[in-house]
Amino acid sequence: MAPAAFPAQFKREVHTVNGVKTVVLTAGSGEPLVFLHGAGLWHGINFAVPWTEKFRVIIPFHPGFGESGDDPAITDTHDYVMHYLDLFDALGIDRLRLVGFSLGGLLAAKFAVEHGHRIDRLVLVGPAGLRDKAHPAPDLFKLPPEQIPSMLVTNFDVIKPYLPEKPDLDFMGDRYREGGMLARLWWEHPWDTKLPRYLHRLTMPTLLVWGEDDRLIPVQQAEIWRRHIPKADVAIFKGAGHLVLDEKREAVDAVQRFLS
Amino acid sequence: MVGNVRFDFMHFMPYVYLPENQKEFRSLWVDFPNKYYDPERGHALYQRYLAELVLADTLGFDAIVVNEHHNTAYSMMAAPNLIAAAVIPQIKNAKICVWGTPPNLEYPNRLAEEYAMLDVLSNGRLEVAFPLGTGMEYWANPINPATARERYRESIDIILQAWTQDGPTSYYGDFYTYRYLNPWPRPYQKPHPPCYIVGTGSPETIELAAQLGFGYSSVFVTKQRALELNQQLRQRGAEHGHQIRPEQLPLGVIAYVAETKEKAEEEAIEHMRYFFEDALRTTPTFLAPPGYLSVDQLKKRAALADKLHGAFNFQNINESFFVAVGTADRVVEQLEEWGETMGTNHFNILGAIGNMPHWKVVKNLSFLAQDVFPRMRAHAAVERRVAAE
Repeated sequence: MAPAAFPAQFKREVHTVNGVKTVVLTAGSGEPLVFLHGAGLWHGINFAVPWTEKFRVIIPFHPGFGESGDDPAITDTHDYVMHYLDLFDALGIDRLRLVGFSLGGLLAAKFAVEHGHRIDRLVLVGPAGLRDKAHPAPDLFKLPPEQIPSMLVTNFDVIKPYLPEKPDLDFMGDRYREGGMLARLWWEHPWDTKLPRYLHRLTMPTLLVWGEDDRLIPVQQAEIWRRHIPKADVAIFKGAGHLVLDEKREAVDAVQRFLS
Repeated sequence: MVGNVRFDFMHFMPYVYLPENQKEFRSLWVDFPNKYYDPERGHALYQRYLAELVLADTLGFDAIVVNEHHNTAYSMMAAPNLIAAAVIPQIKNAKICVWGTPPNLEYPNRLAEEYAMLDVLSNGRLEVAFPLGTGMEYWANPINPATARERYRESIDIILQAWTQDGPTSYYGDFYTYRYLNPWPRPYQKPHPPCYIVGTGSPETIELAAQLGFGYSSVFVTKQRALELNQQLRQRGAEHGHQIRPEQLPLGVIAYVAETKEKAEEEAIEHMRYFFEDALRTTPTFLAPPGYLSVDQLKKRAALADKLHGAFNFQNINESFFVAVGTADRVVEQLEEWGETMGTNHFNILGAIGNMPHWKVVKNLSFLAQDVFPRMRAHAAVERRVAAE
């Protein structure tokens, strides 16, 4: 039987943030570890289970994605930074360890640029948002939707259990909704040109995690992040694509060690 | 049928010289390579198509209709206002319908100006429609599909303000700021040219037409859906205080008339096949860029897309859409029946179907003008007299 995308040990909390239903999955106890997901969480959160042994793991769905509601007022990535300020207040979180993947990596970096004093340690996994003319990320909007899942991994079996076996209208509709949210943020510019200018503010210990065979955000972009962030280590995992945490337990463990 | 019957001739002006391997392309829209456009053949086609529009006027059509599409062999009218400007001096009586430029694809003040220019140039014969634009247009133009509906709404507000309020005025919106909205010239018609919304039946656009008291023309929806949309519009219009008149509900019809049913079908079907199988061929992603449709609409349309953009079947197309191919008798009968059920007296006739050659277009328009329109106009006149007595 296929594993559940969201293991039962994670509890669902429903918050209302600025009028928008925000679903938060939490498990474990200890210091708070917040994970900001990418442009869709259909592949589930099984990768995060080991972290629950040491941390209170908090995985919110961004507004416009997964189980959270839509917030048409969100028109750029900074609006998410403001959303997370409010959500962390609602959750009573002051200081935290922050892990962001892909779109969530960009959001984590932007949050940490502005509110660095609250972030003990920062992990950016295949973060999106840099404009690297030498190693450009493919334009997500131009990729045929049916090709995207296989571009996320080197081993398709890792995500296969979370995909419908045949074309599924609901699955298609859910992805279309998330694509629409992403378009609100990124249709004009699928990157944040000013980001490098502010990355020097990430003075907390930072770990960059990448799959060596990432076909969505080229691994060469890690070097640009490393160059701009004062105390950044880079961990690159062979035989992994964009969903490096889903594909490589070693990557999950490396994050855990870095955060401990 | 109520009031005067009205017949429009709509031309898509397709570029028809496709490469032999054209079937290998999943779409003739958005990314179909423009190296296949030969400007010399394009010139000849423009000459021919403009002559066909002028012919429609000469034959007694009430209006000619042009519209806008980008990056496609489906249409050579990336800028329909240019076509309108080119034919206005040659078209003496017919109305000029630009149905139309998606307001999102131009600055609203500029569109207000261009339409006002055409209205003044044509002595007040312009009619305009405000389409949101197909999904494909948003892949070809630098406008965000996810905020397209909000922007569209604002653009229409600006255009109406520009036309109805003495300038200079100001407009401070979410998408546009106008410190001095003061377009010259102003429209010839007062308060402004007749306006329509053209759409594929999104609840949002129906509601907008109802609010503004605009006409509505549904395109590429099934007969059943078109009927529902007309009913919805009349009902919602009334709730907004607008009595929607029959002539505000132009009914898009593919029509071809010949001497016999067999001959009509023989002459028309291959071009209908081209129209549905080739000219309209595109991908689901091009049809629905991210955020362009609500999730609900996306799911509903996934079903219709197979019918419209799949393999061609004349019977299916005939049953699903307003297609009148046959003798003049039969076409009169069908148009009158549809006019009755749809509550309209306004027919927008796609009479140059797909890659139809010039002679067939001339034949078709002539049969329509000589054998179909006079009879329907006479029937309507009798009905008017009966109603008056």
